[in-house]
Amino acid sequence: MARRRIARFFMYFFLTVGAIIMIFPFFWMFSSAFKMPTEINKFPPQWLPSSLSLVNFEKAFSMAPFARYFLNSVVVMVCSVTLTTFTTILGAFAFSRLKFPGRDVLFSLLLSLMMIPFEMLIITNYSTIVSLGLWDTIPALILPFTSSIFYMYILRNFFATVPDSLYYSARIDGSSNWRYLWRILVPMARPSLVTIILLNALASWNSFMWPMYVISSTNNRTLPWGLQVFTTEAGSSPELLMAASTVVVLPMILLFLFARKSIVRGVARGGLKG
Amino acid sequence: MRVTLEHLTKKFSDVTAVSDFSATLEHGELISLLGPSGCGKSTILNMLAGILPVTDGKIYFDDEDVTNMPPEKRGIGLVFQNYALYPHMTVLQNICFPLEVQKVPKPQRLERAMEIAKLVHVDTMMKRRPAELSGGQQQRVAIARALVKNPRLLLLDEPLSNLDARLRLEMREEIRRIQQRTGVTTIFVTHDQEEAMSISDRIVLMKLGVLQQNDLPQNLYNEPANQFVADFLGNPPINNLHGVVKNGRFELEDGSASCDFPLCEKAGEGRRVTLALRAESALVGPEGPLACEVRSIYQMGKEEMAYLRFGTSEFRAYISVEDGLKTGQMVNVALRKRGVFLFDTETGERIQ
Amino acid sequence: MKKPARIERDLTSHARFSRIEPYMYLLPFFIGVIAFTLYPVINVIVMSFKEDYSYLTREFAQWGVDNYATVLNDSRFRQAIGNTLKYVVLVVPISTCIAVVVAYLLNQKLRFSALFQTAYFLPMVTSITAVGLAWRLMYNERFGIINYILSWFGVEPIGWLTQAQYSMPALVIFGIWNILPFTIILLLSGLQNIDEQYYTAAKVDGARSLRIFFRITVPLLAPTIFLVCIVNTISCFKVFSELYPLFKGDPGPFYNLYTVVYYIRYAMMEAREYGVAAAAAIILFLFIFVFTMVQLLIQKKWQHRR
Repeated sequence: MARRRIARFFMYFFLTVGAIIMIFPFFWMFSSAFKMPTEINKFPPQWLPSSLSLVNFEKAFSMAPFARYFLNSVVVMVCSVTLTTFTTILGAFAFSRLKFPGRDVLFSLLLSLMMIPFEMLIITNYSTIVSLGLWDTIPALILPFTSSIFYMYILRNFFATVPDSLYYSARIDGSSNWRYLWRILVPMARPSLVTIILLNALASWNSFMWPMYVISSTNNRTLPWGLQVFTTEAGSSPELLMAASTVVVLPMILLFLFARKSIVRGVARGGLKG
Repeated sequence: MRVTLEHLTKKFSDVTAVSDFSATLEHGELISLLGPSGCGKSTILNMLAGILPVTDGKIYFDDEDVTNMPPEKRGIGLVFQNYALYPHMTVLQNICFPLEVQKVPKPQRLERAMEIAKLVHVDTMMKRRPAELSGGQQQRVAIARALVKNPRLLLLDEPLSNLDARLRLEMREEIRRIQQRTGVTTIFVTHDQEEAMSISDRIVLMKLGVLQQNDLPQNLYNEPANQFVADFLGNPPINNLHGVVKNGRFELEDGSASCDFPLCEKAGEGRRVTLALRAESALVGPEGPLACEVRSIYQMGKEEMAYLRFGTSEFRAYISVEDGLKTGQMVNVALRKRGVFLFDTETGERIQ
Repeated sequence: MKKPARIERDLTSHARFSRIEPYMYLLPFFIGVIAFTLYPVINVIVMSFKEDYSYLTREFAQWGVDNYATVLNDSRFRQAIGNTLKYVVLVVPISTCIAVVVAYLLNQKLRFSALFQTAYFLPMVTSITAVGLAWRLMYNERFGIINYILSWFGVEPIGWLTQAQYSMPALVIFGIWNILPFTIILLLSGLQNIDEQYYTAAKVDGARSLRIFFRITVPLLAPTIFLVCIVNTISCFKVFSELYPLFKGDPGPFYNLYTVVYYIRYAMMEAREYGVAAAAAIILFLFIFVFTMVQLLIQKKWQHRR
């Protein structure tokens, strides 16, 4: 018995130390965001700020248009998530329910496209955006992300588990495909849809590489990109940088605290592609 | 409504699921489509519903040709084996859905749903979701949803096979009651002979896409059209003794035993035939054409069943306790008129 | 059991509309896929074979494999491949080992398990470039908390972000921290798929926890571990966003940490050699392709075994 107790103690000890390491960078970010310039460059470092004044946030917001960045991020996220969800639902429905020539060939083509890294597409997409005259505009951040093969694949797999009899019942009652999709299938798929939407929102909010390629002017930057530009603007004021980073990170942390289970389930299911 | 199927054929690429199927259902009848799995009964149902296009042949509802009519225009109600209730909707919403699609005004919708819910006894659980209902209750809701739009034809696809034995008996009577109350022409697909026998006005028995017999339930049992029908119905299954007609008598294939059987003359000398007899049709007594040995005896409630050996073949027969038979004893078996048939072994055709 | 698989045509197949209806549903989806995935894939392949491609005039001298030769002969690219491989080789095994242990512990009946999960999974949802800035602060040579903590153990201050030999370790540590949540989640879901009865049987046989862990958990988890390694290898090949915030956008303090994706960006945005960038992208893809194929193969084999 004593042996088991010791084992349990070590288990909790190990997990706790690990957990502290995992969240320490966040703690350090938040703590530094409230420090005074005199407190931040100190050795030994000061663990906690002496006051919880928001002055760093005010300063950061006045030095760079973070409110604007925030708004841009929200707009891009809402638009691309909405559009992606819409196209995903329609595509998943067609691939799971409707019959048409070339369906299976088309589907395997899509599956093989899934392994193409986005890095490989950037070169062409960049030229496309430029030749569409959309370089350095908000639509440039949305357009390439209106459909996702991966989310379509996840949703189609869910749709495929819905028994055929539900569809035929609805059809016999006179329901059109469209009505069946929105009135029956989509409400049934709510957990899957929530997962897809959450993963998509996370990806959109944290997206960094693409904005870096296509956005240059201040007014069109999203938060992660604006933040990186701010690293030079803030110069040697890490406390301002940390305040700005907090603004970037906090919304997604809150989202995670609310919807941890959905997100974790989605990652677990999506990670190994089925 | 009268339903007429004329030379109905369904082919799936190279497989013929239903071939040249013809039958007529009179108004208000409850007909069972019976057969082992893969016999094409569900395919016929799906063609009637319009879910599957017809390869060849015609379907008439009364005098109207509906062969190429889309399902929603046919005015049918369909109940699936898994009920196909919409899990996110309440019982009321489920029942209302067909009316909602037809754009029936809400007050009428609710009134009609309530009326039908009362008929199938689910009116006390209208706010619940399917997951909160028992199998039998889900079944009732599914029937209500199929009936709510006053279908001309009600199709039931193995509706009882997901229920446990006790509920199955109960729901079978319920379906009969509801069908008789509404008077709707009904087709009931099942692979369970007992279910079909107890519920239907008529049974259509199928095998490998081909109609075997379309008859009253008792006729199917008492006057099977062929070997398959005789084999398919009855519990315990019918006994089959394979033999040949020799010297006008029935002789087992290996010649180990023979007996007189009147129909043998009709069959013709040398023809390979099967003597089929139901367990209740073999009379054990002092006299009879079949000389048998009692191999074993089993207690079955108030009756006993004996395994009798005739030559090298064995068959089952009900015996009464009073006979006092013992294992190893030699007995004579007489055959009743009912429940004894002679079939051609190769074609399965009945010799009469 | 029922026949749905054999229902080859749809019920409304009589209607003419139904023949185009499926394509109407697919149209919005495929606009995006074709314009921003399919076309770019084809285009990048084509472009990689255009020699002396000019991004301004869109003209090129001739077809050929010059771009590939340029890439492969470029010492910067070789360095990038070397760095990327080093990163993969360090991050993947270490993070997997840690993740196996953590996932195993998280899979036990724990108090505060929600709390632990939140802590371990949090880095997954946060912007890597934002948290990277916090790490940059922590890595600071003079004031950084990491050097301070190390000083408790008598370690002299380390120039994590300023000295060439420490920049890779700094990147690797950050990379491991960053990839752990994802790895733990996958392994945890793999653990949850292991039937409880194996543990019960082992316990009945009197096996100790450590023995159960090595003799039962790890072997049964092996397919998941393998797949996680491959998925992580693929994602580590694409290392870029981890690097960017640590060194203010530069690939290392002395441009010594070029990775393949950094190289693509360099060829595109600085050298303006689109053909070269395309060739580098194709080479990156080939690496990923090989690993994806291995993954699919193993997955198929694994499914057969179950």
